[in-house]
Amino acid sequence: MKEIRQRPRIGIPRALLYYEYYPMWKTFFEHLGAQVVLSSPTNRQVLAAGSSRVVAETCLPVKVFMGHVLSLVGKCDYMFVPAIRSMEKRIHNCSKFLGLPDMTKAAVPECPPILEPDIDVDKGKRELYQAIYKLGRHFTWDPLKVKKASEAAWQAHQSYQAQMCLRGQTPLQAMEEMFTAGERGIGEGKSNFSFNIALIGHPYLLYDEHVNYRLLPRLEEAGARVFTTEMVDKGELDAFVTKLAGGPYWTYDDEVVGAGGYYLEREVDGVIGVVAFGCGPDSLMVDIVQRYAKKRSKKPFMLLTLDEHSAETGFLTRLEAFLDMIQRRKKIKCA
Amino acid sequence: MRIGFPHAGNVYIPIKSLFQELNVDFVVPPPNSKQTLSLGVKYSPEGACLPFKLTLGNLIESCELGADTLLQAQGFGVCRLGYYARTQEQIIRDLGYDFEMVNFSVSEENKLWGFLKLFKRLSNDAPWSKVIPAFHFAIAKLNAIDEIEKAVRKVRAIEVEKGTANRLLKEALDKIDQTSGRASLKRIKKDYFEALAQVPQDHKANPLKVGVVGEIFVVLEPFSNLDVEVELGKLGVEVKRTISFSRWIRFSFFLNPLGVDEWKKVHQAAMPYLKRDVGGDGWESVGEKVLHAQDYDGIVHVAPFTCLPEVIAQNIMPTTRENIPVLTLICDEQMGKAGMMTRLEAFVDLLERRRRQKTRAAIR
Repeated sequence: MKEIRQRPRIGIPRALLYYEYYPMWKTFFEHLGAQVVLSSPTNRQVLAAGSSRVVAETCLPVKVFMGHVLSLVGKCDYMFVPAIRSMEKRIHNCSKFLGLPDMTKAAVPECPPILEPDIDVDKGKRELYQAIYKLGRHFTWDPLKVKKASEAAWQAHQSYQAQMCLRGQTPLQAMEEMFTAGERGIGEGKSNFSFNIALIGHPYLLYDEHVNYRLLPRLEEAGARVFTTEMVDKGELDAFVTKLAGGPYWTYDDEVVGAGGYYLEREVDGVIGVVAFGCGPDSLMVDIVQRYAKKRSKKPFMLLTLDEHSAETGFLTRLEAFLDMIQRRKKIKCA
Repeated sequence: MRIGFPHAGNVYIPIKSLFQELNVDFVVPPPNSKQTLSLGVKYSPEGACLPFKLTLGNLIESCELGADTLLQAQGFGVCRLGYYARTQEQIIRDLGYDFEMVNFSVSEENKLWGFLKLFKRLSNDAPWSKVIPAFHFAIAKLNAIDEIEKAVRKVRAIEVEKGTANRLLKEALDKIDQTSGRASLKRIKKDYFEALAQVPQDHKANPLKVGVVGEIFVVLEPFSNLDVEVELGKLGVEVKRTISFSRWIRFSFFLNPLGVDEWKKVHQAAMPYLKRDVGGDGWESVGEKVLHAQDYDGIVHVAPFTCLPEVIAQNIMPTTRENIPVLTLICDEQMGKAGMMTRLEAFVDLLERRRRQKTRAAIR
């Protein structure tokens, strides 16, 4: 007897905007009666498979994304690849996010049907609601049900962001707490940190432990308390974007320029910028932060550029040297 | 106030004319050269794209010539271009120059109005009766240049003595640059059309037709693409290109506001493969490949290294059903002429073989 699957399975690649919107997407789809399939964390095979499908010039995060799409093929009925143009008025996303559904189709022809809502807040609320409704139509004809689902999704997103901002959690910690509540108590972890480090960069670089060689855990093991963009109020970030760059242009100005300026002025001992090789927005945004670090602030700043060729040893050497330097500075200050 | 501006192909000629007519003090930075590029590369972030590096070089060279007001494009697209002005401003300030950065928008709805207002301001509030004719004359120059270039592209492929058309083009550009009368501009245009028609040509030759598509700056700035059009011409190929500044101005200043969509046909052609504008010229690159698969023999796709929209185009182009050979040339400061020539020659050989096979199949 042929098995009739009641609940359509939606594949969500654990890459790019997953780190920012996963709770929202998951809630939305589950309220519409779908089942969400998440790809497993990045590993070498995922990255190699993704890299083999796109031209060499493509940036690392997109290669990772393609790898995750490939790993989901056959495990889901739909692939969720939104084309997000803007999340705020007059502030746009990088071209790669817009071309993502079409690039996925070109790179992974065997991909199941792609759910590709056009999210463009710049065009106005009406268009946005229509896009959401169109997305919901794959699962239900009832507009009210879609409305309820999107309201629940928005709520989930809000509480996710609040959790990170108020309690100083990283997206990984916040998601773990949201989805596996009760199973594992989230302790505050270590509390005897000897110094503070701020990390700036896109969430999909900071929290993907394969591409950044476990940067966060490594820093914590070395005794650093890590601060990230998510822990800062958006208003403060925006103020620094205006101060450093004259106003936001990219959606990510907050997480690079804003967070960079913010932490360079705060009580942290050093700031590490993490960028991907070949990333267009990063190439210019990080330059602004670096100039600010050089001119206005006496804080150490290090830039780590990631690509699929960088070797772990070289990466670690730089990291260790940077941390040694920070500890020495601290000693000199104390003495 | 002395104005400096970046180069982009021949666009300095109309800009120069505009400033001259409005009696504004300005400097034209030296044409793009190795020196410009190395200045740009030295002070740019390493991951920036070639247009960023070259225009930064131009602006620094303008400052060296005493410019205190710098002109740069700006806009709310989705490509890096919108971030150029703010980064370049900080870089040049850190070099110790004192200047004012003036930006003109290339993406907002009222581009024409914004542009005119900007030039009125730069000309110390000249009356509209001066600004508008000056602007009109600059556009006439730009159109003349593009029309002559178009004719030159045809002649280059089939001229008997290679280089004649190019020499004529250089002369024409100089004359257009120097003229200040509308009547003489018309005469120059006519003269050079006639001169080009008289260049000895091999009319029996049926040259290969190759479309040049890609990112607008590297398509139109010969220094950045190592003269790809001229080199193709030398190989006996007729270059087809729809991208030009006069076309851009005609549509985005005048016709788009009236509801005419410049690229509608091209976008529709791209639809099955790329559904939305990805900023820059990525959508158009894909569309032109699909649209001209039948009437061109091949396509040369030029893009700056790490250009966001063109990387998307480059990923999508090989998967279209419309089958036509595409050669992607990535332009950056590492690009060498010999390497490019080898690739171009091999590409042209391939196109010739393909055409022979096609005619043979047709005869059978």
